[in-house]
Amino acid sequence: MHTLPQQLANGLFIGSMYGLIAIGYTMVYGIVQLINFAHGEIYMTGAFGALAVYTNLPDGMSIWAALPLMLAGGAIVAVLIAVGAERLAYRPLRNAPRLAPLITAIGLSLALQQAVFLWYPHATAGKHFPQLPGDGFDIGSVSVAPGDIFLVVAAVVCMSALATFVRTSRTGRAMQATAQDPDTAQLMGIDTNRIIVIAFAIGGLFAAVAGLASGLKYGQIKYDMGFQAGLKAFTAAVLGGIGNIYGAMLGGVVLGIAESCASAYISNIPGMQQLGGEGWKNVWAFVLLIIVLLLRPQGLLGERVADRA
Amino acid sequence: MTTTIPQQPTPASAGPKQALLEASGVIMRFGGLTAVRDVSLTVNGGEIVGLIGPNGAGKTTFFNCLTGLYVPTEGTVSYRGTVLPPKPHLVTQAGIARTFQNIRLFANMTVLENVLVGRHTRTREGLFSAIVRGPGFHRAERASRERAMELLEFTGLAAKADHLARNLPYGEQRKLEIARALASEPGLLLLDEPTAGMNPQETRATEELVFAIRDQGIAVLVIEHDMRFIFNLCDRVAVLVQGEKLVEGSSEVVQNDERVIAAYLGEPFEGTPQSAPEAAPADAPESAPAGAPDDDEAPENDEQQENDK
Amino acid sequence: MTDIPLATAEAAVAGTDTGRRAAPYLPMPRTAARAATLAGAVISIASTFMSWTYTTDFPGDLTVSGYPGGLQIMTLIAAILTGVVALGAFGTPGLRWLNPSRSPNSVLLLALATLGTTWYTVIDIAAKLGGFANLDPGGFVAFIGALVLFAGALGLPIDRRPQEPAGAEYYELGRFEKYAAVVRTYVWLREARLHHSDLRVADARKLNPWLQRLVIVVVYALGLKILTFGLATDYSDIFIGYLIVVAVGFWGLGASGLLKQFQQLTHRNRRFSATVGVIAAIAYPFVQNNEHWANLGVSVLIVGTVALGLNIVVGLTGLLDLGYVAFLGVGAYAAALVSGSQFSIWSGVQFPFWAAAITGMVAACVFGVLIGAPTLRLRGDYLAIVTLGFGEIFRIVVRNLDGVSGPKITNGPNGIAQIPDLSVFGYNLGDNHSMGSFTLGRFANYYLLMLLITVIVVLVFTRAADSRIGRSWIAIREDETAATAMGINGFRVKLVAFALGASLAGLAGTVFAHVTNSVVPDPYQFSGPVPPNSAFLLAAVVLGGMGTVSGPILGAALLYVIPEKLDFLSKYELFAFGLALVLIMRFRPEGIIPNRRRQLEFHEDEELAPGNRPMGDDTVPAATAGA
Ligand SMILES: Nc1ncnc2c1ncn2[C@@H]1O[C@H](COP(=O)(O)OP(=O)(O)OP(=O)(O)O)[C@@H](O)[C@H]1O
Ligand SMILES: [Mg+2]
Repeated sequence: MHTLPQQLANGLFIGSMYGLIAIGYTMVYGIVQLINFAHGEIYMTGAFGALAVYTNLPDGMSIWAALPLMLAGGAIVAVLIAVGAERLAYRPLRNAPRLAPLITAIGLSLALQQAVFLWYPHATAGKHFPQLPGDGFDIGSVSVAPGDIFLVVAAVVCMSALATFVRTSRTGRAMQATAQDPDTAQLMGIDTNRIIVIAFAIGGLFAAVAGLASGLKYGQIKYDMGFQAGLKAFTAAVLGGIGNIYGAMLGGVVLGIAESCASAYISNIPGMQQLGGEGWKNVWAFVLLIIVLLLRPQGLLGERVADRA
Repeated sequence: MTTTIPQQPTPASAGPKQALLEASGVIMRFGGLTAVRDVSLTVNGGEIVGLIGPNGAGKTTFFNCLTGLYVPTEGTVSYRGTVLPPKPHLVTQAGIARTFQNIRLFANMTVLENVLVGRHTRTREGLFSAIVRGPGFHRAERASRERAMELLEFTGLAAKADHLARNLPYGEQRKLEIARALASEPGLLLLDEPTAGMNPQETRATEELVFAIRDQGIAVLVIEHDMRFIFNLCDRVAVLVQGEKLVEGSSEVVQNDERVIAAYLGEPFEGTPQSAPEAAPADAPESAPAGAPDDDEAPENDEQQENDK
Repeated sequence: MTDIPLATAEAAVAGTDTGRRAAPYLPMPRTAARAATLAGAVISIASTFMSWTYTTDFPGDLTVSGYPGGLQIMTLIAAILTGVVALGAFGTPGLRWLNPSRSPNSVLLLALATLGTTWYTVIDIAAKLGGFANLDPGGFVAFIGALVLFAGALGLPIDRRPQEPAGAEYYELGRFEKYAAVVRTYVWLREARLHHSDLRVADARKLNPWLQRLVIVVVYALGLKILTFGLATDYSDIFIGYLIVVAVGFWGLGASGLLKQFQQLTHRNRRFSATVGVIAAIAYPFVQNNEHWANLGVSVLIVGTVALGLNIVVGLTGLLDLGYVAFLGVGAYAAALVSGSQFSIWSGVQFPFWAAAITGMVAACVFGVLIGAPTLRLRGDYLAIVTLGFGEIFRIVVRNLDGVSGPKITNGPNGIAQIPDLSVFGYNLGDNHSMGSFTLGRFANYYLLMLLITVIVVLVFTRAADSRIGRSWIAIREDETAATAMGINGFRVKLVAFALGASLAGLAGTVFAHVTNSVVPDPYQFSGPVPPNSAFLLAAVVLGGMGTVSGPILGAALLYVIPEKLDFLSKYELFAFGLALVLIMRFRPEGIIPNRRRQLEFHEDEELAPGNRPMGDDTVPAATAGA
């Protein structure tokens, strides 16, 4: 259980989840330079959307049959919320000072979290989430649960689909252009509003996948799960180089591995015996964020760009 | 701390013909785009130097390199013989002040406060003295205000000292930018299109203002698209095309240079080398920018867009 | 940042659009409208002397005839106010000063306040007791009286936005512009907007200076009275009625121009009014001589002071600090550790208050620098997320430093309890002290100490804001690139602002630790069921008005007191905070109390309005506006 390969694998699993959420931060940031604080909450609503579908399915339906429906449910909820937030809250503030959309984002995040807390039936405590059937199995010395497999497969599929989309489709290229220079892109006839909506929608979709996956992995979802996950995912996005979709995934995986290794091995360092374990995991993630900001603020894959003056 | 404008400190080291600003081999690349290619330029004390060129030639980028807003990819900028670090506040501290092409005032501060911000480098009071408010603080504050009011007087804005900057009409905003820049007691003033968007009378007034500034011993480096303005004003003119310095010389030399005409002015000027310098620009201004190469919009239009942003 | 230019607000305020039309909402002859207004006011007043319901089951006992009680008092006050302001608006000699702008808008709004509280009461009676059958005739009279009053006010020539031009297009409606009904409703709504903010009022600064001061004293006393009345309300129904009257009533007084005149007075007599304000605040524990209210007072002062500290960071410098409460926590823990509590790892150490305060400030400042230094070099957004992370980490770390899952410093979730009371110059704040006929209890003592700290923070805020460093903060907030090009070392001044904000929070934290007797990790998180959490503080700043002194304090007071009084709401508190942040940013980014700069702007508009003064000659207002 405490072998290095196992820690690496754990880090990879959790990191894939961070990466999936981080995509949403990074795409939105890349295009409108906004940290969508509510993104963690969108991930949470995605998970609850999936659960809501599951609860309303007929009894005895196989989980494999339910899975696509749950995914659809979660995705619809998350995408609608993400796009709605853009349309109703962020867009009117696009020319306002920077602080205005940030405050709006934080407000949205709070409101969404509390809305689920208050109005989703019995969501004040953790909600049980269905599990994939089958036991965990071992690959070499690494034990893997079905939920982990789902997570990694989902991350790989989503990531390659996104990469293909951005590189080959018209919309994808328009997206890259908008990220480079929104004004010029607009002059070139790109409907930047549409591009921004699509960025939010893709972010929402990926967040929903992550939400579903985390439910399957942990067997439980909670109204406040978006807060920490959002923070982590943002850290992952910065780590990878904010604005860069590959960076987001890479950052997620690096962060996941760093975290699981820190909680396993830090206590072996003399003088830091008491600073290991689950309780300190988040602290180390945060320390990593600070170090990255100090040493390489543009992130692993980011390039330094001059602000326009 | 001087209190009257004509008594500007003009250190003896920078006599009229001594090099004040020396930029050598400045290169600025943005990814694949080289916006400034190996430009060297010298400004001597007491000089007015013009910088012209078609839209996108890299003039503003060059300014940004001079003032430390961009870190040049290669090349150095020195002022009074010392190499400037690429940090805007240190550049201003050293004695170079600038205005911006797309006006960047502190919109929600009053006119007077804007100028007081310009005095930042020439005053010392920190947080502690602001809180304690000893006699020294009051003295410094009073002196700053007096000096700022003098500058407002000088630029003709004294009557509007307590208006919010954003409520000023366009032409006055440009003047306020100049007053704010002068407040830092510069030895060299960089003006980025100071007459853009002004009507002819305002342009004349700005011309007067620039002369008055020069008469105080402040050298001026000015970017303009208004050829009459440039050729009236400047002792020397440098032409930037596609990031490269094409020509540098007196007004007559520049306006009759084949390459400049081809690349920027578009059609030969009425005035020949022999004609008096005053006569030459008289016919030029309207036709010159309009006759710019096809791929460039007329500067007026471009300016309009800049300001609409 | 208070003046975030929203397209609409901008057009409404700064544009040349000073057009206005005076037209009633309900067409009726002018005299009829006036008569109805006055009659409605009289009926409403009379009704409060009757019995509204025959059982005493409804809180406040509204069964007594001949003597208004409970919620009837709200109706009574609102109706009297409406009546006299209406008389002023109609030009009654001797009462005209009540409505300096001469606009009937104030009458309409006050009538709305009357209607609101009266109908709320009547409907509440019916709902609580099961049907309108429980109303006595007095209740019906009140119901009708308020309606008549309001209807009459609707018939007055209300100052509002001009008519929309015939062919105007409304892009903001997007695809709904196709539907005629939607457009018509939208146009109607646009035309229905009240428009009285730029009405001219007589200059109150022309009054005799002594009279000016007298007015200030009276108004502050009234304010204190209103405040303590509200706090002393002992059931939620009457508090709701009170809120309706106060909120809508203030709006109405704003429309009458009285608030503007009062502002002129306080601005002219700034020092005097500040002194009177402090005296009024000192008077509070004496007037409201009860430990419960003193406790409330301390809490409000603490959250208000912390919010004001946050305002330096957010409002002046434009840095979004989402983990601000952690600095309060650092201060509180630092103070607790040196307080001499037996649960502190240094239980033998007991610092005097001044040393503990400095310890708290320094500790918070150190953390501020540690967090700020790496992030403030980068774009502002990073700071937001790093501080959010820091806030979260602080709580986790403090929880883990319990000797089991980490080194033993803070006792983990149990916190540091039994913090002894402070003693300042031999005055033990934990004991009761008698002063003449008053007894100052524990919370009253802490209230006074905290008030001192609030005054210090207010002084720091105002003095710093109006100085070289404060101007550089605002410049950074407005345009960081331009600011650095003006010679401002952005990193350094931002770090100073951030560290100052942190230190002030740390200072407040030291008192907080002693007031609550113990420190535990839970209050120090981003969002939580009890203030002070970072979301609460941010909401207080944004609601009150970023960049202002009184805004955050008022915002914190409102956000603290309202859920306290209406406990059925507390469940929805965080949801409401979130929604409020979104809505305020969208519709009123300047908050309740607009910044002086915004006032200045109103001022300019007023002076530039055609006919007031020749265009070039605004040197006079410029000088008197005095920065
Ligand atoms: N921060 C940046 N990142 C990428 N490209 C940039 C940046 N700043 C400027 N450029 C590019 O550099 C080129 C030169 O721009 P610059 O603004 O210096 O031109 P200019 O000569 O000032 O033109 P104008 O007369 O229109 O003001 C342009 O192609 C512009 O798009
Ligand atoms: Mg330019």
